[in-house]
Amino acid sequence: MSATAGSQARATLTVPGLAAGPFPLREVPPSPCTLACPAGINVKSYVSLVAEGRFAEALEVVRERCPLPGICGRVCHHPCEDACERRPAGGPIAIRALKRFVADLELELPPPEAPDVAPRPERVAIVGSGPAGLAAAWDLARAGFPVTVLEAAAQPGGMLRYGIADYRLPVEVLDYEIDVVRRAGVEIRTGYRVGVDGGLGELLAEGYAAALLAVGAQRGRGLGVPGEEDCPEVEDALAFLRRVNEGDRTPLAGRVVVIGGGSTAIEAARSALRLAAKEVEIVYRRRREEMPADEEEIETAIAEGVAFRFLAAPARIVSEGGRLAGVECLRMELGEPDASGRRRPVPIPGSELFVAADHVFAAVGQEADFGFLPAELAPRLAAGGRLATDPQSTMTPLRGVFAAGDVVTGPATVIEAIAAGHRAAEAIRAFLDGEEPGAARPAAPPPRELEIPSPPPAWAQRRHAATAPIAAGREFDEVERAFSAAEAIAEARRCLRCGPCSECRICAASCGRRHLTIHAGGAGAGSRGWLLRAPERFVASLEAAGAGGACLHRELADELFGDAEAGDQAVALLPTRVAIDEDFCRGCAKCIEVCAFDALSLVDPEAEETTVRLAPARCRGCNLCTAVCPTHALVPTVVAPEWWGVRIEDLYPPLAAAAPGEPRFVVLACQRRAGAVGASLAAAGVAAELVPVRCCGQVDAGMLLEVYRHGAGAVLVAGCPGDACRYGAGADLAARQVERARVLLRNLGGDAGRITADWSPDPEGSLANSGWPHLAVLARGLGARQEGVSDA
Amino acid sequence: MPELASLRKRTQAALCLACGKCSTMCPLSPSGWFSAARLAAIREPETEIAGQTRSLDACLTCGACEQRCPEGVRFVEFVRGVRALAPPVGRRACPHGEMLQAAARLMAGPTAPTRDLGWIGDELEIAETGEVALFVGCLPFFDLLFTDELGIATVDIARAAIRLLNGLGIRPVVLAEERCCGHDLLWNGEPEAFQALAAANAAAFEARGVKKVLTTCAECCSTWRRDYREAAPGYRPEVEHLAEFLAARLAAGELAARDGAAPSTTFQDPCRLGRHLGVTEAPRSVLAALAGGAAPLEMERSGRDADCCGTSGFIHCDANSRRLQSERLAAAAATGAETLVTACPKCLIHFQCAQCEDRRRQRAGNGIAVEDLTVLAARMLVPASTARPTGDA
Repeated sequence: MSATAGSQARATLTVPGLAAGPFPLREVPPSPCTLACPAGINVKSYVSLVAEGRFAEALEVVRERCPLPGICGRVCHHPCEDACERRPAGGPIAIRALKRFVADLELELPPPEAPDVAPRPERVAIVGSGPAGLAAAWDLARAGFPVTVLEAAAQPGGMLRYGIADYRLPVEVLDYEIDVVRRAGVEIRTGYRVGVDGGLGELLAEGYAAALLAVGAQRGRGLGVPGEEDCPEVEDALAFLRRVNEGDRTPLAGRVVVIGGGSTAIEAARSALRLAAKEVEIVYRRRREEMPADEEEIETAIAEGVAFRFLAAPARIVSEGGRLAGVECLRMELGEPDASGRRRPVPIPGSELFVAADHVFAAVGQEADFGFLPAELAPRLAAGGRLATDPQSTMTPLRGVFAAGDVVTGPATVIEAIAAGHRAAEAIRAFLDGEEPGAARPAAPPPRELEIPSPPPAWAQRRHAATAPIAAGREFDEVERAFSAAEAIAEARRCLRCGPCSECRICAASCGRRHLTIHAGGAGAGSRGWLLRAPERFVASLEAAGAGGACLHRELADELFGDAEAGDQAVALLPTRVAIDEDFCRGCAKCIEVCAFDALSLVDPEAEETTVRLAPARCRGCNLCTAVCPTHALVPTVVAPEWWGVRIEDLYPPLAAAAPGEPRFVVLACQRRAGAVGASLAAAGVAAELVPVRCCGQVDAGMLLEVYRHGAGAVLVAGCPGDACRYGAGADLAARQVERARVLLRNLGGDAGRITADWSPDPEGSLANSGWPHLAVLARGLGARQEGVSDA
Repeated sequence: MPELASLRKRTQAALCLACGKCSTMCPLSPSGWFSAARLAAIREPETEIAGQTRSLDACLTCGACEQRCPEGVRFVEFVRGVRALAPPVGRRACPHGEMLQAAARLMAGPTAPTRDLGWIGDELEIAETGEVALFVGCLPFFDLLFTDELGIATVDIARAAIRLLNGLGIRPVVLAEERCCGHDLLWNGEPEAFQALAAANAAAFEARGVKKVLTTCAECCSTWRRDYREAAPGYRPEVEHLAEFLAARLAAGELAARDGAAPSTTFQDPCRLGRHLGVTEAPRSVLAALAGGAAPLEMERSGRDADCCGTSGFIHCDANSRRLQSERLAAAAATGAETLVTACPKCLIHFQCAQCEDRRRQRAGNGIAVEDLTVLAARMLVPASTARPTGDA
């Protein structure tokens, strides 16, 4: 065997006709989850990467659009999960928990270093260090701008620190992620009150080229009922939470009533419970269905013992002897929908009821505090309790001063604040570059037919992260547990990978011939998804197979491929769906049996003549169905004929022409482990022609026999073991084919030992390309056999 | 291209009038896209073949069209010839993967196979040399593909044949160096590999002194009897399907039906046996003998007009194949017969495949029993004499 593997083997066994040409660009919308994320995180990509065990890369993908993965992984209201196509089939993917999982892994590692960027001279000041401010600071710092964040409080984080308690968001996580932002070059000055320590105008005069107001909506609204003002036991829930989160853990005696139905109400109620309140009751004027708080939060609160009283609103605070006695409430009924689309609660006359309370926390709304604005500017900037901005440029009427987050929109969620921060950062960059501000987000694509059949089959159910009960003495310890690595992978593998490509980038990593290169496309505001560069003949065959490609805009592609030769810029993403040629389908249903994702069903199982149909959202393009299809009605997509695997016949002429002693060792490997297999063999000095296949389940006995017949000294099928196959039956199918080929050879008196398979488990503790040393031993054995083979 | 021109002339495809009479018989006509006349019009291999690869693959080469052609076009031979000229790119591979083709090509190599004959077992007796040989063909290899899926073992057909022959006092020659007969390669466009197989088989059987080659497969029979005459003209053994051999022995009174109820049967004429070789009576006389003289029930179209089982040469399978199988099974059931008997393992596989599909789809299909003639005969026939196998016939 030759000492140098890979390159030399390829030099003798070259697949012809791989010259690249100019490639078409196509646009395909991202998956529903990605589209739903306000911050534009490529959700499908990181879920796919988690499914592959590529956790660090997954975190990298999240960070592209979110500097606070550990925080969002805990408290995000996850619109991505609401959009998830899995919702009707076993529940949406637990996307938030997956994000938390990868973020938590990093806590054990040294923090990531800031990337090198070309520094920009323009300094930017950001007022407020909540999620909007931090996200904007992150983006601007990564674009090279020196950023200073001015924070009035003693510690940065805004509502993340003072509005969310430790049992949901441990302060260590917050500190860590703020530190990551700092490491990106952001200076955070705490205890600096704009308007007191320095005015807004002074900031610009001080040399800041732009300023961003991201001060949030930190002041709680009062209940607005009689008796409230002079009763110290009636308190703003935000003020209570701030006190608690500053470390004041003074126990609350007696009965606590929280008024409101949002996250703050739940947060206050659960915190009160942890401060030894005897009873905690939430009073809300609508029903549970209308509560703005996250459903999971409500459930957890109920589980912890918070009581709820719906369709009731406070009418009067009742004090006795200078002490709070309770709240007089009115029962409500729901009338016509209001501006928010929810039905407006209407009091029922004469329905007064008394709710006893020793403490009342009001969580009925938040507004911005404009005390920091100079008196002469306030009327120009603040209208209706919000800062006025141009919706396109996010700029206030004050040139160079931008605003983002709750101070503009009113109270919203963390991820919406991050999204606003991104938009503002992009607007500031455009302003500083002298550009016209453009649309910050691409328009939503037209709806696609995802064809989730109804009723959904009994699929694997969504995994829920375990929660811990409140422990005495450790009341504020984090409640929700993180997934284990195995749980995270299993949950991520439930993902249907809607959209044109699973965006896992596995193709580039595993393409032994380096035909494919992948570039992250997450940097620009309008770009999402990945660029896959592929020779045109592949693209053409993918297109012929009815598969969608996907791309980003040409300018971005040109930018990314700027160093390539002119005309050599290619952008296309892997299609992931099998195509059905109905003319050929005889309705045998074999494909249905082999599909692990229930993507295939018969149009009419009872009819004599029927065909199979595809639920595209479920198909992962594993092509196992094509392996069992007796009629070729199922047309493989990713493994288009010219792709890896099926055009294995391209190997035949060079195999047959190889001189004695030349390497004639052929390895068919699952694309997922092809890279590692190749590396293992190369490390051992074994020259082999590596043919990655989408899944070893596609390998056919005839294929193996043909490779054998054309003179391969040995043929190795290197696939994932049964439980590791992402597509279910791959290992079983492949093992059967390998066995068939071997039995047939034995029956004919051939050398069955020249065809072999390896089903090694993934290396312990990691799915990274660390290799399988024993493959080298196996290969040497086969190599010895090959040398002994006479030309048959 | 001169090859195509001479093929057109030799097979009289050049005489096709496109009158459409063939379509009235062609089992693929209901597909709506298959037209024998359009294929017969192929003159330019580079362009026209590429445009009709699907039709070219789909043709069952069953020969039904030739029954009606007023111009005597030998369409089946024409298709076979065009397939050999057709560019391999774009051709659909075997519906069952490429294992059988790969096996045939392996056997076409210079090294003779050494077949594992372990399936014969100890009870049955074979000879090293002798005048009568049993050509086993693909029977042991089919089982690798179909036993798990369809629950059938075609190697049982070969065992049944040896048992019958042993009962008649014949120890057939069965060769470890037997190669594939080459039928599928010949019909699917690989004439060179076929030629190598034919020459090697002829030499091997001749070397063992074989004068009569028996087969249990309609395709092997037609290949040996017709195509080997051209491919290996120096060796002219008598070639018989076992049905013919048994019919003659029954007529000679050497075999008798066992006491006991034989199933009522109907017979599926395999294309290669019925239309290609004209053998339609022998299998029927065997079935009649099993049933105490009662002729098998006849389907609406039988003998030279029989419909194909839906696939030929393992080259192409689609919804039409399924339709043909369903219709043929329905026709068989409509006769009132208990068992549909075939004399070709591929007919057996294809009918059982359709039935297996229905089971997989959990729909009530046509459950008529399907059995190979040799297996049924071995179960029902006993030697008229009590002669023990004594040696070569």
